[in-house]
Amino acid sequence: MTSQTPETFYKSIFENMTDGLAYCQMIFDAQKNPVDWIYIKVNKNFEKLTGLKNAKGKKVSKLIPGISASNPELFKIYGQVSLTGKPERFETYVAPLSRWFLVSVFSPQKNFFVALFQNITDRKQIEKNLEDARIAAVNVLDDLFVEKSKVETAKAKEEAILMSIGDGLITTDEKGNTIFINKAAEKLLGIKNEEISGKSFFESTTIENEEGVAVPLEKRPIHMALATGTTTTTTTTTTTGPTYYYVRKDKTKFPAAITVTPVILSGKVIGAIGVFHDITKEREIDHAKSEFVSLASHQLRTPLTAIGWYVEMLQSGDAGVLNDKQNKYLSEIYTGNKRMVELVNALLNVSRIELGTFVVEPEPTDVVLLARSVVDEQKSQIEAKKLKLSEKYAKDLPLFNADPKLLRMVFQNLLSNAVKYTPKGGAIEFALWMVKGGESVDVQKADEDSIAVKVTDAGYGIPKKQQNQIFTKFFRADNVRKKDTEGTGLGLYIVKAIVDHSGSKIWFESVENKGAIFYVTLPLSGMKKKEGAKALI
Amino acid sequence: MENKKTILIIEDERSLREALRDKLTREGFSTLEAKNGEEGLDVALREHPELILLDIVMPVMDGMTMLKQLRENAWGKNVKIIILTNLSDIEKIADSVKNEVYDYLVKTDWKLEDVVTKVRERLGE
Repeated sequence: MTSQTPETFYKSIFENMTDGLAYCQMIFDAQKNPVDWIYIKVNKNFEKLTGLKNAKGKKVSKLIPGISASNPELFKIYGQVSLTGKPERFETYVAPLSRWFLVSVFSPQKNFFVALFQNITDRKQIEKNLEDARIAAVNVLDDLFVEKSKVETAKAKEEAILMSIGDGLITTDEKGNTIFINKAAEKLLGIKNEEISGKSFFESTTIENEEGVAVPLEKRPIHMALATGTTTTTTTTTTTGPTYYYVRKDKTKFPAAITVTPVILSGKVIGAIGVFHDITKEREIDHAKSEFVSLASHQLRTPLTAIGWYVEMLQSGDAGVLNDKQNKYLSEIYTGNKRMVELVNALLNVSRIELGTFVVEPEPTDVVLLARSVVDEQKSQIEAKKLKLSEKYAKDLPLFNADPKLLRMVFQNLLSNAVKYTPKGGAIEFALWMVKGGESVDVQKADEDSIAVKVTDAGYGIPKKQQNQIFTKFFRADNVRKKDTEGTGLGLYIVKAIVDHSGSKIWFESVENKGAIFYVTLPLSGMKKKEGAKALI
Repeated sequence: MENKKTILIIEDERSLREALRDKLTREGFSTLEAKNGEEGLDVALREHPELILLDIVMPVMDGMTMLKQLRENAWGKNVKIIILTNLSDIEKIADSVKNEVYDYLVKTDWKLEDVVTKVRERLGE
């Protein structure tokens, strides 16, 4: 460094320092308030940092219009510094210049001040961005926290629900290995989740049938659901399907209603969810109900038997010869008694139907043979009324899987109605034929290959207004009530119940006083076997 | 006694029991009566009737229980039985007697004379 004069030295500092420097004189008003200042000298960077040219000698109020409004603190601070001599350091945003400055100001002599400043607009922007980012991050965190709470709450809720539902719940993977069982399942089965989790459910638990024989793997509900990919239900009431018993760890067992639904993702079975509950109570109630019905019918029948047998003995002359009138009156009693017996039988069937406790035991049946035998039973009635009966049975009807007792009841009811409600000399037809799936029978279409049954009569018919009630309990249309007081009103109800329970269909066409045609379609897939407690009589 | 076959009537309803008794007597049979299963078992093992008409629902001892015990007896194993009841439930019958050969008649559906016919049929007349 060459020697230089102090003045040159300071001048070079002045000119080259990176801070902006302004040497100013403060201006006060009459009340001694700082209102303006004059730039006496500014360095090179002053212009660079402020963008203000030729500041020297100018008042700030002229140089930066609006500065006293936008930055009154500058006047206050500069005024104070130039009076007290106490230096200050501060940051401020000068709106007219749209810049942030970091200012250091001191006073070399009274009423004068020197301000050194840096443009910190960039730093300020960075700081703001950082702050914004921080705020955004905090918001995101908050949101995440809220979501997490929501998820956790939902999860907790689900767990609570699963844990507390009264039904036992079992979840397995696609192989039948236990994933999870809930509290109710633990309690019902007498095992803990930890004991069986991960192991095959079929090995950890045993199901027995009514006879106490262990149910094989293929018949286990979870296995069936996994294998077929469809919901599998065992007994949901006590009277449909086989009753399965879960065997507890302590070897005691209980009857259960089990429903298993496979879990399917993208077309593949990935597991199963089984729900079951103890149906001991329901079974007891059902048994009590059946017992009641049986007992009630037994009680009703005993006096009816007595009446029937004693009238019979009287009419046989066992207690002496009767005159005509006596015989006639006894006949009336006997007839009345017979009707009561029929009614009790019908009521018993109705109760069984409503409880759902009747059996359907299908076996290969020759329906034509059955039809002929039913017609045979009606022969005397048909002859007495001089009715013209035509039987139209197709030649090659296949054996039909039906419960012959139930099918007989269907035929009997339809035929006896035709005979009963057709006046003397009328015509009846009984027809059986085969239809293919999709073919029409009257106004209906057969869903699958079926045997069609048609019973036609030329009787009183069913009034249009009452046709929708014909299958309801105890219903007898007004027109036949007027003519014939016999009839329980239960026959068609029972027929419909049998048809409904065995997967068949029944419907009719009728015009009052013209007659009626009853149709039944019996799908060749046969009556579905239905286990239950009682046979219909 | 003459060659009259003896029929034991086990039935708790008096009026029905007497109707059966009167009819069977008129038809030439000798009859014995019992009001419940316990009495019936007693009489059966003592008197060895040719055929038993057995009701199911009875107090003290019901028909099925009586039947089971009867079949455990050497003579009782083979005696001919017609169940005469107003229960239409074949399911009431205990498994042990499911394979029994017997007739099961519902009283309300059978006339007295038809019961007699059945009795004769079973006795091989």
